[in-house]
Amino acid sequence: MNTRFALPLAAAISLAATTAALADWPTDRPIEMIVAYAPGGGTDIMLRTLAPYLEADLGTQIPVMNRPGASGEIAYTALAQAKPDGYTISSLNTPGFLTMRIDRKLRFDPDDICPIARIVEDPGMFVVQAASEFNSLADLVAYAKDNPGAVSIGTTGVGTDEHLAMLQLEQSAGVDLTAVPFGGANEAKTALLGGHVTAIGLNVGEFASAEPGQIKGLAQFAGERSILAPELPTATEQGFDVLMSSERGLAAPCAVPEDLRAKLSDAVDRALANPEFQEKARQQGLALSYQSGADWSAAMPERLARYEEIFKLIKENQ
Amino acid sequence: MNFVDLLMLGFSEAMTPANLGFCLLGALLGTLIGVLPGIGPTATIAVLLPITFFLPPLAGIIMLAGIYYGAQYGGSTTAILVNLPGEASAVVTTLDGYQMARQGRAGAALAVAALGSFFAGTVATFAIAVAGPTLSSFALNFGPAEYVALMVFGLLAATILASGPVLKAIGMILIGLLLGMVGTDQATGAERLTFGAVELFDGIDFIVIAIGLFGFSEIISNLERSGSEGVTVAPLTRLWPTREDFRNSWAAVLRGTGLGTLLGLLPGGGATLASFSAYSLEKKVSRHPEKFGTGVVEGVAAPEAANNAAAQSSFIPLLTLGIPSNNMMAMMLSAFMIHGITPGPSVLTNQPEIFWGLVASMWIGNLLLVVINLPMIGLWVRLLTVPYRLLYPAILLFCCIGVYSMNNRIFDVILAAGFGLLGYVFRKAKCEPGPLLLGFVLGPLLEANLRRTLLITQGDPSIFIERPISLVMLIATVVLLGLMIFPAFRKTREEAFQEEEA
Repeated sequence: MNTRFALPLAAAISLAATTAALADWPTDRPIEMIVAYAPGGGTDIMLRTLAPYLEADLGTQIPVMNRPGASGEIAYTALAQAKPDGYTISSLNTPGFLTMRIDRKLRFDPDDICPIARIVEDPGMFVVQAASEFNSLADLVAYAKDNPGAVSIGTTGVGTDEHLAMLQLEQSAGVDLTAVPFGGANEAKTALLGGHVTAIGLNVGEFASAEPGQIKGLAQFAGERSILAPELPTATEQGFDVLMSSERGLAAPCAVPEDLRAKLSDAVDRALANPEFQEKARQQGLALSYQSGADWSAAMPERLARYEEIFKLIKENQ
Repeated sequence: MNFVDLLMLGFSEAMTPANLGFCLLGALLGTLIGVLPGIGPTATIAVLLPITFFLPPLAGIIMLAGIYYGAQYGGSTTAILVNLPGEASAVVTTLDGYQMARQGRAGAALAVAALGSFFAGTVATFAIAVAGPTLSSFALNFGPAEYVALMVFGLLAATILASGPVLKAIGMILIGLLLGMVGTDQATGAERLTFGAVELFDGIDFIVIAIGLFGFSEIISNLERSGSEGVTVAPLTRLWPTREDFRNSWAAVLRGTGLGTLLGLLPGGGATLASFSAYSLEKKVSRHPEKFGTGVVEGVAAPEAANNAAAQSSFIPLLTLGIPSNNMMAMMLSAFMIHGITPGPSVLTNQPEIFWGLVASMWIGNLLLVVINLPMIGLWVRLLTVPYRLLYPAILLFCCIGVYSMNNRIFDVILAAGFGLLGYVFRKAKCEPGPLLLGFVLGPLLEANLRRTLLITQGDPSIFIERPISLVMLIATVVLLGLMIFPAFRKTREEAFQEEEA
């Protein structure tokens, strides 16, 4: 319904409609929230938990629509084509949103999508079996130096967070590791517990909510230690230049008036400050880390440059 | 506390009026979505998950679990009545179940499916209670190498599933493997067979293929003859299975239950693999394998028992290790997490009322399902007497809604329609789509695990014969292959199918 009306010819009409809608926004009709992943995933649960608080704050309804596929491209394309009236918003995940433009031709222009707010920053990390002989990243690196290729790291595919983190470690430590792709974090974890791979990449949120006593962390890949794992040293602290965290938040088309985007951002900020929401987030292992759309936007070019560099490494390796 | 005390604790938790109510609600919802093709338990649970915030933890989890095993019951109903597998795990039930329905024995097929499922559910529930903690460590021994061996065996066994010439069956498996390759290659990130369509980056959904090949093509081929004879319902003689049906099916139920319970434990195994395997096992041990596919009661009893047993036993790795073995269990894991419970050994010791309450409620839920479903068999059977001009547009609509609602995109519906045409061509060419589906499901798993194995060993294939589980399965594969090539066996098989043609 929305794509046809976004034609240039109709631009004037839709502009008029936008101005008219501004006054009532957002109470006159529901705001559609697109989630770029299947129901039940981390992003889906995060936004379904958040939606009722945004509804209460904004005095409107926010139905959640899942448009999974192509690591988010399908949802972002739908968002970019939506009428920029503030009634369509979408989930936004990095590094996927940043890396997808590096190696493939996209159906949408990433510059048409503006972040509203970052909700979670969840650093990546490497974990091994609890009984493993490795206790730090240095132990793992030392072993990999003596046995090139023998250390296998379970990832969730090429170009995923875990894979990018592994490539950074290879480069920073000058070692040769073997990436073993799995269908998802759970499959990788099963393989780790069965002793089929040496280590796997996880997010700190997944680690914090895992059964204690089965696995132990070697390092987290954030600039600063996450609130969910204050005991675990970062890779930088251990002398390795590995930075990788996944950020999850909300976005709207850039053509949506800036004050509407700011109102949405403020509503997210207030919801995150609500102790009731914080308690639910804690139960789900969400590493809440609010950032306004403008701040998040400003931090993106630097991250993008870093990912471009890593992708060059992949190309060279192939 | 000893075993009996713990089980009593579980029953006292599960029997509170509120928990009993949520168990019933979940079982009813599950049956409903199981009957509706395409609308699967995963999506339903995802939508209902936020609602469970407002329920006590055990009540919420009991309801969601009820939806899951309720869907296994409901899925077989449409498979039997209208040849439409409501769930992937009910695909093989269509082979004999639908034939039974056409012979006027729909009631018997539904009753055997319900009773077989109940028996399997009871056994699997006790398996969770008794052997859960010890059995789950077995699943961890299954590494990539063991999976490769299992998949190779499974694919070869799939040729037994088909009733046509072996060559056609192998052809269908190969088409299935090819379709399974569509999408982004996990190991390199390269696109394969997507033709640049962004909707195909993640491959084709199972439901799209299943609904196209089974649902749409069934409707097309019925339209072909609807002018002359109309509804193809044979006279309904009786609703209850005959004594002979019971005599023929009890052993099949036992074998299906055992196999299903074991396969449910494996990560990635679950109900679908269990029902396929149980059907081929049954065909192999049967004294009249040629009759499979023509409406034999064992062909319904074994896979139905197996998929229900596997649906329940797949809770074992989740509850004891915190490892979900499939998508559904991953959803259950998030349901636990929402309530701040981390499934794993500590739940068994710290919150025994949760673990044992759930185990007890599963048994109660299975009992409720039989009580709900047996009296309703007459109602379901009456579905068959609805004129096709009303029934088929309705089925078509539900199929389209189901396919659309998976990813909310029209592309999938068009794709399913394409598979419908393909399925019609297969029917005309007398090629069975069953092996195609198995190839489609197992192919990507085989490829991914083969690559994983060789990555881990850095290219050394000797791991396949060094690891005992893998070695045993590979030997079984070679034996099976030998049997198929061995002249005497081949002759019997061919004779059997000639009889069938006659």
